[in-house]
Amino acid sequence: MDMMISNLQQQRQVTEQLRREAAIKRISVSQAVLEIMKYITEHEQEDCLLVGFSSQKANPFREKNSCTLL
Amino acid sequence: MESNGVMKHAASAWAFQLGPLARTGNTMPPKDDPELQKLRKELDDMMKKIKEEQDKVADKTLQDICGDMADAPKVRLTTKKLLKGHINKVNSVHFSGDSRHAVTGSLDGKLIIWDTWTGNKVQVIPLRSSWVMSVAFAPSGNYVACGGMDNMCTIYDLNNRDSTGAAKIVRELLGYEGFLSSCRFLDDKTIITGSGDMKICLWDLEAGKRSLEFEAHSGDVVSISLSPDSKTYITGSVDKSCRLWDLRDEKPKQTFFGHTSDVNSVCFHPSGYAFATGSEDKTSRMFDIRSDQNVATYCPPNSTSGFTSCGLSFSGRYVLCGSDDSSVHIWDTLKNQHNGCLTGHENRITSLSVAGNGMAVATCSWDNNVRVWV
Repeated sequence: MDMMISNLQQQRQVTEQLRREAAIKRISVSQAVLEIMKYITEHEQEDCLLVGFSSQKANPFREKNSCTLL
Repeated sequence: MESNGVMKHAASAWAFQLGPLARTGNTMPPKDDPELQKLRKELDDMMKKIKEEQDKVADKTLQDICGDMADAPKVRLTTKKLLKGHINKVNSVHFSGDSRHAVTGSLDGKLIIWDTWTGNKVQVIPLRSSWVMSVAFAPSGNYVACGGMDNMCTIYDLNNRDSTGAAKIVRELLGYEGFLSSCRFLDDKTIITGSGDMKICLWDLEAGKRSLEFEAHSGDVVSISLSPDSKTYITGSVDKSCRLWDLRDEKPKQTFFGHTSDVNSVCFHPSGYAFATGSEDKTSRMFDIRSDQNVATYCPPNSTSGFTSCGLSFSGRYVLCGSDDSSVHIWDTLKNQHNGCLTGHENRITSLSVAGNGMAVATCSWDNNVRVWV
């Protein structure tokens, strides 16, 4: 009897969860993508994979050929 | 047609959660169970409704909006550091918050803490179990965590040594009924874990106790990614779905379907508005959170291998995926163009980590090596 009750509860929880997810507010894909695009454009200059290093001195991974003060 | 397949996967994953009676492995409940059939119908109707709501807001495609943008430049990354030291497959790599140190875990039973700027090993930590699958560096750099087939998560304090001179174990997090597949520190006091028992656990490391423990998916949870503001996180699972969670909740906010096989890796977009994925189905995808759908699918020129790992560049313009084919595939996320591959590893790439400042990418592989790409 207990098993049946908890099963029903579990099942009700699943449909409730689905109902919650169905009810969320969604914005249009166009607005969503535009805002992602805006973020990316605003941060492009700081993205090393996009713009590289401003100078070799700015690259901490460069080969150092003389003594460095740590 | 792909849409029908995705609906079937979604139905199967949701039905799994109806309980043991429904977990028959196929999509049809036993004939003589009208209650269950009624539930399955309700479930199918709800999913159709969700698909309708998603379609309603799908007014444009990525191509429509970003088509006029200039192509992104070809990514010019090469291996600046080839980190040798492990003597068996390396399964996981993660950068510290300082964008300089990284931790790797290998089947040779060691964690190595690397200074990626110099290539030096800063610490080597011998593990009690060599079956490590996942590692994490606390953003502060003070702690690392690891776990795997030992079904536990062990926390090491990098600033305190034990009698043998190795980093001290400060916590052993037990009680998992499956392998530890993923872990991420929120801060020095809190860690979140995903495991093969399909659960997520949030741990209070000071108390050494779980704050939360719940079943998160219909299959192994294999990847976790925290949002930039640390208030939410994404999980990826072998049940082919991804879920968005509020840190304190036991119920997901949203469930994302689209992949047709295991989601192996998830990565939050720096904007906080979306996340990227890498999957066994040989694609990478971008899911947008606020329109609640898969807005881009990234395919390599030759679809031969699954993706094990993924990361995004600092601005989010590039997505990088580690592949079973030994290379890292790169795409322009906005123009959906394959931007090239990073080659060098000689076997499957298991894990990838982009430094927080975006300057470097670390990868590790079954070839026993770790590479730092700059």
